Amino acid sequence: MTQTQVRDTGGRPVLVIGGGIAGVTTAVEAAEAGCDVILVEKLPYLGGRVARLFRYFPKLCPPGCGLEINFRRIKINPRITVLTQATVDDISGSPGDFQATITVAPRFVTDACTLCDKCAEVCPVERPDDFNLDMDRTRAAYLPHRLAYPPLYVIDRVACPSGCTACRDACAYGAIDLTQQPARRTVKVAAVVAATGWAPYDATKIDNLGFGRYPNVVTNVMLERLAAPDGPTRGRILRPSDGQPPASIAFVQCAGSRDENHLPYCSAVCCAASLKHVTYLRDVYPEARITIFYIDLRTPGRLEDFLQKVTADERLTLIKGKVAGVEEDPATHDLMVTAEDVMGGRKITQTVNLLVLATGIVPQTDGLPAGFALDEYRFVAHSNGGTGMFAAGCVTRPEEVSATVQDATGAALKALQAVVRSAHHG
Amino acid sequence: MADTLVVTPDITFIREVMASGGEDLKKCYQCATCSVVCELSPDEAPFPRRQMVYAQWGLRDRLMADPAIWLCHQCNDCSTRCPRGVRPGDVLAAIRQQVVLHYAAPRFLGRWLSQPRSIPLVLGIPAALLTLALLARDRVADALGLSVVPTGRIVFAYSSLFPRWMLNGFFGFFALLAFVAILVGVLRFWRAMRAAVPADRRGQPVAGLISSTLSALARIVTHRNFASCTTARSRFVSHVCTMFGFIALAVVSLWVITAAYNPLIRGDFVYPFSFWNPWKILANVGGVAVLAGCCLMIRDRLRENGSASSSSYADWALLFTLLLVTITGFFTEGLHFMRLEPHRHVAYFVHLVFAFTALMYLPYTKFAHLAYRGAAMVFAERYGQTREASSMAPVNRQDAQQEG
Repeated sequence: MTQTQVRDTGGRPVLVIGGGIAGVTTAVEAAEAGCDVILVEKLPYLGGRVARLFRYFPKLCPPGCGLEINFRRIKINPRITVLTQATVDDISGSPGDFQATITVAPRFVTDACTLCDKCAEVCPVERPDDFNLDMDRTRAAYLPHRLAYPPLYVIDRVACPSGCTACRDACAYGAIDLTQQPARRTVKVAAVVAATGWAPYDATKIDNLGFGRYPNVVTNVMLERLAAPDGPTRGRILRPSDGQPPASIAFVQCAGSRDENHLPYCSAVCCAASLKHVTYLRDVYPEARITIFYIDLRTPGRLEDFLQKVTADERLTLIKGKVAGVEEDPATHDLMVTAEDVMGGRKITQTVNLLVLATGIVPQTDGLPAGFALDEYRFVAHSNGGTGMFAAGCVTRPEEVSATVQDATGAALKALQAVVRSAHHG
Repeated sequence: MADTLVVTPDITFIREVMASGGEDLKKCYQCATCSVVCELSPDEAPFPRRQMVYAQWGLRDRLMADPAIWLCHQCNDCSTRCPRGVRPGDVLAAIRQQVVLHYAAPRFLGRWLSQPRSIPLVLGIPAALLTLALLARDRVADALGLSVVPTGRIVFAYSSLFPRWMLNGFFGFFALLAFVAILVGVLRFWRAMRAAVPADRRGQPVAGLISSTLSALARIVTHRNFASCTTARSRFVSHVCTMFGFIALAVVSLWVITAAYNPLIRGDFVYPFSFWNPWKILANVGGVAVLAGCCLMIRDRLRENGSASSSSYADWALLFTLLLVTITGFFTEGLHFMRLEPHRHVAYFVHLVFAFTALMYLPYTKFAHLAYRGAAMVFAERYGQTREASSMAPVNRQDAQQEG
């Protein structure tokens, strides 16, 4: 299995854009088959959206479970070049002979970093913690998260006071270089794989559900952080308004998905995600009253068993009918959610302490270099031809982690074919 | 689940609803967003989600007996929020057309009037009838010993061609027919609604017929339902203008028609009125209001077209009929004040044709909404199906759940 046993493909490298589970999988699969890989990630760490989950399907293990082994595969494989805080600006050329321009933003921290945390201790300013979806703050000198790979601190220079050198002065290893400049490099590659993944739909656009107006309306991705032990509430899932444990929680399915005014397509994973969230809540709050408002509960394949298991919970109510009105009690910050109970044939208003919007998946195709064909919903259309430009993961369609990994393995194979072709012809 | 529901879809009905504004009916996936965003939808009998599935399934009879179809004022709050772009507001409007056709007596008149290709005959028949009346005028006058020359307190007729007795007789006869037709339709509708309410406690009246009627009338006069619309906000203004303008014109017309028998009028009753006569002012203000209301409605319908709502033939037919009645009325008035012969006779003739079209076809066109919606609103008051009555219901199942 190690790269030394594999014959070199002899061609140009593969460029993988995006360092989430799709990009990381594509990179290690291609590299372990003998091909050089340049893995470009715009954030300072790999792992993408999966790193921000509390647990994930199918085994409901923490993200470290799958990511750590992959990080290790990257670390020991000299064929993989990881560029974090990097973006691909432009791709030109033809299959087998692409030229890509990459901009790498400075990290201001070198490989000499030992994660001693001294820089963060002396740092005088804070910044919103984007890893925790801005629900708490870090210093401007920070480690993105506990399992960050590469395991290096980062300096957010935008947040720094001008002229401040406190972190550099405090670093005993000389690992901080505040003079670093953005670097631009041009690489020749044989194939490109877009694995830029997804972003949660902007819930403030769903104006009748109160997100952004009422503090106790959160999204499903926020709930993952609230449930995570390294999240803003250390896994205790507390209400944003008062830090109290919620006694009643409701989920709004299809918050923005399957809606021509928002995302016309089904985001595919939100139903299973909400059921998973019920298990998070149940672990912390055995007595909490939980309601899921849904249009259709879509749990294909083996998830059907998971649905049966979760819905056996007696304090979980499923109501067929989409929540279309949310109001807040200004005194308690509780939420009054209104839906028509389709089975009961009447409108109901339920008061809950916490409301979770099951927001959907938006493909991250805006920053992609030209050359990728997009479909009508702005996902990358799969290409099987000889374009040399492929895609994997949620940038191609909404899908769960395991499907993404399979997708990424397929993309690696397509990229390898392009590399081998170019090695023979070029 | 003990009851078995055998669904017998009325395919023709589904097709007709889809053809007259509800083309995306089948896209509805029953999320019930519509029922929640609707400001008029009552908690205990929400609409239009349920009506959407009935329409998809072709459950025609249920919809024909459902007052909720008429409680909808087509604000289109549901249509702008609908995640599937189905426009439930338009679907309910299409079902309302079907209700009018369903209860039309005789039924073929409704079918005939609902087709654009009938327009020449629709206008041709009143024109022919009026012409016949004119041709027979002298003979009838002789036989009845009446005068064709304006007599009595009328000093200068709108048109010397049309003596009062003839107009009153002609329009009175057809108005009686129209009245009987709409009365039959509404009574059948009421009976169907009554038969459809459950036999248990919920099916018992909560208010007397008179108090229900008064409440519904108050609701109609104040336009309270229109006022709650968000999307079609301007519909409040346009409907107020059209409705009160029309009422003003109707009052003045009745006053004139009954003048000869009115004990309140002593001395000379000079008709046509002079321009500054209070009755004339009321009529002119009413006419302008109808004109303004119709123009606003036409503007809104053109603006909404394809987005929040699309308009059907029935919508345009009523709007343009009312618009043309008013325009030809003002035209006749102008020519009359200018004493232009024979132009004012021609204009008056055309005006009468459109007035006939508006009023005598009322039971078969969208104009019938005043009777059916009125009946449905009274019914909703009587059986506690208004939003207000519903939200006062003592037992809320959700509350019970919370306590338990």
